Amino acid sequence: MKRPIRWTVALTAALALFAGLVLLPFWLVLTGSVKAPAEIIARQPTMVPHSFTLDHYAKLLAASDYPVYMMNSLIVASVSTLITLLLAIPAGYAFFRMSFPGRETLYRAILLAYAFPSIVILIPLFGIFAKIGLIDSRIALVLVNVAFALPFAVWLLRSFFAGIPAEIEEAARLDGGSPFIVLRRIMIPLVAPGIAAVAVFAFVTAWTEYVFASVMILSDAKRTVPVGFSGIIGQYQIDWGLLLAGASLSILPVVVLFAFVGRWFVAGLTEGAVK
Amino acid sequence: MTRIRKPHLLAGAALTALMPLSAAAQTELTLWHMEQPPHRVERVQTLLDEFNESHPDIVVKQEPQNWGEVYAKAPAALAAGVGPDMLFAIPDFTPILKSVGALTSVQDFVEELDGEHDFIDSAVEAYSYDDGIWAVPLYNMSMNLWYRPSVLDAAGVAVPTTWEEWAAAAETLTADGAYGMGLPANKQLYTDQTVYSVMANGGASEIYNEDGTLRFDNPETVEAYTFYNDMLQFSPPDAPSWTWGEAEACFASASCGMILQFSVISTYDTQAEGDAADLGVAAIPSKDSEGHNTIAYANAVMLLSQDEEKMEASKTFVRWLLQPENYGRFLNMEPGLFMPVTADGAKADSFWSDPMVEKYKPQIETVIENSQNGMLFGFTSGRVFPAIAAISAQNVLAETLQAIAINGKDPAEAVAAGQARMMDLTD
Repeated sequence: MKRPIRWTVALTAALALFAGLVLLPFWLVLTGSVKAPAEIIARQPTMVPHSFTLDHYAKLLAASDYPVYMMNSLIVASVSTLITLLLAIPAGYAFFRMSFPGRETLYRAILLAYAFPSIVILIPLFGIFAKIGLIDSRIALVLVNVAFALPFAVWLLRSFFAGIPAEIEEAARLDGGSPFIVLRRIMIPLVAPGIAAVAVFAFVTAWTEYVFASVMILSDAKRTVPVGFSGIIGQYQIDWGLLLAGASLSILPVVVLFAFVGRWFVAGLTEGAVK
Repeated sequence: MTRIRKPHLLAGAALTALMPLSAAAQTELTLWHMEQPPHRVERVQTLLDEFNESHPDIVVKQEPQNWGEVYAKAPAALAAGVGPDMLFAIPDFTPILKSVGALTSVQDFVEELDGEHDFIDSAVEAYSYDDGIWAVPLYNMSMNLWYRPSVLDAAGVAVPTTWEEWAAAAETLTADGAYGMGLPANKQLYTDQTVYSVMANGGASEIYNEDGTLRFDNPETVEAYTFYNDMLQFSPPDAPSWTWGEAEACFASASCGMILQFSVISTYDTQAEGDAADLGVAAIPSKDSEGHNTIAYANAVMLLSQDEEKMEASKTFVRWLLQPENYGRFLNMEPGLFMPVTADGAKADSFWSDPMVEKYKPQIETVIENSQNGMLFGFTSGRVFPAIAAISAQNVLAETLQAIAINGKDPAEAVAAGQARMMDLTD
């Protein structure tokens, strides 16, 4: 049935409004990062830059440790994502397929990890990490990130496994596949969209994590972007150009990740589980 | 092929063997400070490189930290044995570390430095209590009224000296899309500072009685809050969410005719006109023009090492830093923001020869003059009440303003509630 034109117009307008709400801040940040300082703080903000300069980027990359922060963030976020996936996939499959006492209770309980605000466990965790020599170490951040991403990742992947028709797995079993082979050859390709979603979740969580990174890391050389960048901005006096350039660059890896994984994600959805 | 002689090999081997001994003989110090912007870190590193080169037995390295986390991070790091040997501080930070037993008095050392450089008394007083001096003053920051003379002239307004003139000037300057006076109302440290600057100019500088009981709830405080709230009508509508940076941007873009800020020189010079002749700075207006006060932070360095050798090395570094030929360059890591706390530092060529300082010399001289009347809540009249650390950490002064400006509470009720909150925090 053809949709009435007024509905199409209303829907388009609503979508444009929401898109504007989401995209406008990005536009202002990106365009602001190439404006001259006086234009950035002008009384009347300009939607389209009247000036153009790359000085803020040059200053950010040459005069600050921003590249070091970016590298640290990439290492921490990538390793955290990888370990999260390596643990979440078998755990999610085990919660779906294996029978063991307390399975359902444990499955529901894992999300309790999110009941505690991170600030509550910050100082005790600091003490533990200090005792085992992990303060000022990127390993500490990886451990924390994995610990916080894993419960949701397991919970999400279990749901994806549960969505696969039982006949597919049974067919693989009848062909003599062990649980590990079935998981690796059959189930993982079928839950690719779920793995992609978990990867994006784990990466973004690690990329934006601030609280633990700000306390666990002591030296400038090991800081991640959120913490290092907040220092570059300054307290009493803010270099707005530097701030906007740094903010623009900080979203780049996440955008790249979405560009790649997003395609895979959509492909997985459109192909479906049963062909 | 060149033959390597045996004696050369032996000498090389001996040198290699001795190298670890030579490195081990060095005392390594870690300095935490909260001056994170890249140009400040760079300036500190330049000074550290010079110090390390001139003192082969000591190596000082910096680890810049963030004011936002250091209150929790420093005690935890010290307790875990991974803390710094030296840590920059403001007066209300020191009691926190003293309370966890991380500090020993440096009274003898401060007296030695005072004899050599002559500290501003108020800078030392902020760290003097409980029979000791707990940090070595390093630099001062004081709040001032900043304006553009051309803007005031065009509006036919004189630089205000009283509250009445200040309100009238702000009202006149609030026209054509511009705002007369940029004042924050955020629950944040900047608002604490601007509110206290108004209180201190309205006879409400004392938060404590001599016996240590609170006297925040008094008619002068209520009057100061009432005046501040009235002035907010001449501030931009987003002012309730401001921190220092937004106020500076408002001034730099000429959207605000006047603001209260420690310094705007760096931002004005790099992001606005940069015309030194059109940058004005004055003392904060007072209720009746009799004496102008301001909030002032004497920043200091705490010496934290429990190791005697490291403590002595830390003192060597601080002695070196306060030498006039080094001290001015240290202060000018942010020209116009950090002011000297020593008499010889205030005259040092290394301070006044910086190009930015030379350009804005009249303004900086005024800032130094204003800082002579600097005070800080909880550290006034030679009496220090360390419990102020908890009150300051919770931004109770700003919280009280929010109750009035945002929630519409009566100023007298809000101030009474503020005092009750302070008592809760102190208990």
